[in-house]
Amino acid sequence: MPSVSSLAEAAEVLATAHAEGRRLTIGESLSTEGLDRILEHEAGDLTCTVEAGLRLSTLQHALAEHGQRLSLDPPGDPTVGALLARNQSGPLRHRFGAPRDLVLGVTLVLADGTIASAGGKVVKNVAGYDLARLVCGSQGRLALIARVSLRLHPLPKAEQSLAIETDGAASVVRALLGSQLQPSALDVLHPGGILVLFEGSPRAVKAQVAAAQGLVGGVEVDFEAWDVSRRRQSGARGRLRFDPGRLDDTLRGLAEAVVRPSAGVAYTADEQPSDTVSQGGIDQLIERIRSELDPNRVLAA
Amino acid sequence: MALRASFVLELQRALGATHVITEPEQLRVYECDGLTGHRAIPELVVLPGSTEDVQVILRACSREHVPFVARGAGTGLSGGATPLAGGVVVSLARMNRILEVDLASQRVIVEPGVANLDVTRAVVDEGFFYAPDPSSQQVCTIGGNVAENSGGAHCLKNGFTVHHVTGATLVLPDGETVELGGKALDPEGPDLLGMVVGSEGTLGIVTRVTLRVVRTPEAVQTLLAGFETTDAAGAAVSGIVAAGILPSALEMMDRLTIEAAELAVAPGYPAGAGAVLLVELDGVSAQVEEDAVEVERICADCGAFEIRAATNDLARALLWKGRKSAFAAMGRVATDYYVQDGVVPRTRLPGVLRRIEELSEIHGLRVGNVFHAGDGNLHPLVLYDAEQGETERARDLAEAILDACLDAGGSLTGEHGVGMDKACSMPRMFSERDLEVFGRVRRAFDPEGICNPGKVIPTPRLCGEVPGPYRVHPLERMDVAERL
Repeated sequence: MPSVSSLAEAAEVLATAHAEGRRLTIGESLSTEGLDRILEHEAGDLTCTVEAGLRLSTLQHALAEHGQRLSLDPPGDPTVGALLARNQSGPLRHRFGAPRDLVLGVTLVLADGTIASAGGKVVKNVAGYDLARLVCGSQGRLALIARVSLRLHPLPKAEQSLAIETDGAASVVRALLGSQLQPSALDVLHPGGILVLFEGSPRAVKAQVAAAQGLVGGVEVDFEAWDVSRRRQSGARGRLRFDPGRLDDTLRGLAEAVVRPSAGVAYTADEQPSDTVSQGGIDQLIERIRSELDPNRVLAA
Repeated sequence: MALRASFVLELQRALGATHVITEPEQLRVYECDGLTGHRAIPELVVLPGSTEDVQVILRACSREHVPFVARGAGTGLSGGATPLAGGVVVSLARMNRILEVDLASQRVIVEPGVANLDVTRAVVDEGFFYAPDPSSQQVCTIGGNVAENSGGAHCLKNGFTVHHVTGATLVLPDGETVELGGKALDPEGPDLLGMVVGSEGTLGIVTRVTLRVVRTPEAVQTLLAGFETTDAAGAAVSGIVAAGILPSALEMMDRLTIEAAELAVAPGYPAGAGAVLLVELDGVSAQVEEDAVEVERICADCGAFEIRAATNDLARALLWKGRKSAFAAMGRVATDYYVQDGVVPRTRLPGVLRRIEELSEIHGLRVGNVFHAGDGNLHPLVLYDAEQGETERARDLAEAILDACLDAGGSLTGEHGVGMDKACSMPRMFSERDLEVFGRVRRAFDPEGICNPGKVIPTPRLCGEVPGPYRVHPLERMDVAERL
């Protein structure tokens, strides 16, 4: 598998495939693992710019030395590029969002070798089209993501997880989301369990845990409890999206799942029909974007 | 270019004659938005009442190759809604209904003409609010907010419009509709919604928007600290960030803007302050209390000579009074002023402020600074007197300030948008290739180039053949050697 380690190399490999009418699949027939540098980490700005082949764990380790993190915790250890391309998130999605919420800018290499940047490295910026968000969820089929600027958060001074066993997950979730508590993560481990994570100063975490217990009960558990959630998410065979207010109905129809109730997303043990079905207009629009960015369909799956 | 009579008739039949404006006197109302320096009288203004109406309008425009621009409340500051001579203005003013309040899902579905603050009004009794709070929130519309990806004083912690829009119905320039997102997050495929938000009305017209509303925080605390200098206040900002505290708002005003505010609304800010820092904290009580103590300590350590705290709405309003009036107050110290909107990495603020001071002296014009210090978004106010022939010099100074922001690795615009105002400045931040790729994406949505043309992406016709001096994009700067 060809592996690229610079923008110029990536542009050359793609442009050649474009000229020869060959197909490439990023991460399979074209590796970005050589693009693995942290280009800039300005701790005082809570931002960083990295190459997209960098592993998430490597990035987190480097950031932790400065008391910071990228608030994305998907299962596994994707490269930053894959994280964006698959729009992956984990339990922290509840409070901090998905890659599209934390990406500030990108440098892309288009299939014809064009190198283009969008966004920037500052947290506030509305100049130009937000291609950084566009490539989130693009599955590597619009362009190669070469560099990414990201918004960071300080590592919390303290954290505590709470596990609640219940037959009525929907009403527990309703009580928690209706309260003024601010958990960082809230997963339903269906059937029967709920996990909540509080982060902040030691005193504030203690106060939130006590308030949550007063509201919905539950016992304090170690952070390792979240492994179950991540394991179930990575082992899921289906994904289901639902109106967050319809959690009760949704859970009734599911056998086993890890559910992010505020996002309205469930990762299910059973297969689910793709939610892109009957979105004809969107498919055509995406196809038009694709033929502008990749006319020779080098990156078509 | 005059529109064909049959075109006008077709729209009159579809929308009703009262919703199609052709009278020159009435058309003049739409000649500009908040960027009043750019004006053009549209050929026609139409007021659709539904998604279907918008589809009819855009199908007709597409068939006849008539350019159009969508318009909300017209409060935009970059000329995003400036009409195109010979074109159609699509005013969304009639589409102002709140369609659904679904608090179980924490979502509200609205038409684009709904005013920003009305979303919060619809849910506040139940203990929720809509977070993005641009300063024009009383009148600016959700449609305009979506177009501009509007921020507000509290976006430092709460995020921008893009973080609070979960779904939208988009009418493409050819009149077809697409449903983007919905109440649930993370739809499959590329994040089209995330790109449409902030595309300044150049990719279509949004006719229905699903918004996320959030629970009002348990506690809010506002602190105001007076410093001798902006450097000292800047050091406090760095200290707060370094302590791992994320305020919901972190605003700074310098001596000139404080003086103007005192003349205009007399907020009674600390006497003789060279800089005032406004810090708002929200969240769970225990955290807010602890952070407030820490912020006070940091401010004191950095030389704050007076610190005031507000824990109720009345006292809070008093602390915010000067900041909220800052732009308008400038009228007290100058006949004319130009508001710039640049961004720098927060750590570069002190250097850029010093540079602005130098530039101010070089150009012989005063500059007031009021800004969102937490996210490095500067709003330098260049004061001048048009009657004294200072307009040109003021514009040069504003441009020089923008260059200083870009040199520091920042952005052309943090929240006001590119629109017409900065389209020709885009080559200073983006390379020709970057802009060419923007053009490709735009073409996928609008192959005929009729959707708000001349905005965002510079055109030779608009800017002349020679683009301004290109600056290395912040993302390229780190590895210039690899630039092809």
